Amino acid sequence: MEQKKNAKLSRAVLDMKFMKRTKERVEKEKDDAEGEAMYANEITQAMRKSGNINLTEVSIATCKDLIEGRLSFNGMNPDIEKLMTDYHQKFIKAEKTKETEVSDVEMAKSYSSTIQTFGNKFETKRNRNKNKFLKPSDDF
Amino acid sequence: MSIKIGEFVFPGDVLRDLTVVNGVILKGPGLHSHEEPNCLLVTRAGILCFKSPNTYWIDGQQKRYYPKRGDLVVGIIKKTGNICKVDIGSSELSSLSMLSFEGATKKQKPDLQVGDIVYAKLLSAHREMESELVCIDSYYKAGKLGPLSNDGFIMNISLNFVNRILDINCPLLKTLGQKYVFEIAIGMNGKVWINAKKTKDILNLMNALLAAEQESNSNIIKACKQYAS
Repeated sequence: MEQKKNAKLSRAVLDMKFMKRTKERVEKEKDDAEGEAMYANEITQAMRKSGNINLTEVSIATCKDLIEGRLSFNGMNPDIEKLMTDYHQKFIKAEKTKETEVSDVEMAKSYSSTIQTFGNKFETKRNRNKNKFLKPSDDF
Repeated sequence: MSIKIGEFVFPGDVLRDLTVVNGVILKGPGLHSHEEPNCLLVTRAGILCFKSPNTYWIDGQQKRYYPKRGDLVVGIIKKTGNICKVDIGSSELSSLSMLSFEGATKKQKPDLQVGDIVYAKLLSAHREMESELVCIDSYYKAGKLGPLSNDGFIMNISLNFVNRILDINCPLLKTLGQKYVFEIAIGMNGKVWINAKKTKDILNLMNALLAAEQESNSNIIKACKQYAS
């Protein structure tokens, strides 16, 4: 197979009608080889290496997660207020992050209560009932 | 000597050991690719900032706006025609095609005069070419973009202040929104357009912005909290 690909075909053969695709391929290979030879001197080691990282330029708004500056308050421009969902979402997100920063202890508390709820689920009904309905003491 | 995140850097410093995700780094203002591969060259003095996963930028003082693709800006029309010239505060006037408005055709164009104000998006910003504005998004919808009414008032604020008030953690705009009925368009180029029902409100809002410009972030937050409570 390898030999077949590298085998050089004569021009007469390539000019035949059914050899159209092979002819295109052979020509492209030839072009590529020529191009590489031409620019071989100019491709430095650095150029080969710089392909590692692609740099993409972005604006400061994406860097800092800024909101869009077109805002309307208290029904001044209802059309704009309809489109302000992005602003509200970001605001809610910011509020949430602020809250989580404070309430690590609360999180632990609520988590332990969830464990209990799930624990109830795996108990049999009889056991659960036993725990729940204790007989009132005789003091009453 | 390696530079750490949060350090003050100067033009000419070189950043090595960068965090890369899938071979891509996003670089914000103040950074340029270095001759040496896989390095960034600092072109502006300021604090080096990093946002995970792979964004680097320099946070510094800047007076002159230079256009960046994707920025939302407020511009003043200086010349009309099929292609308007718009002043967005950069070194050159920017062009805005009359056809890049929602629903605009060759026969039916928006009525814009010299001195009108538009809120537009930068479609292309190349340092060797005139920047280009559009008033539609990629779905041909106007959304928030378009001409702003003539009743409003336009003023200039510093670029750093724009970045500060557009930060979601800054309560200034929200607090003002509790008191006044108004709409505002803040361009990344430092031009701000305000419109309210009463002229007095507009003046008050203008003064509030001008006063806040001189204050630190913590002072603004404190003042807003005081007002809200």
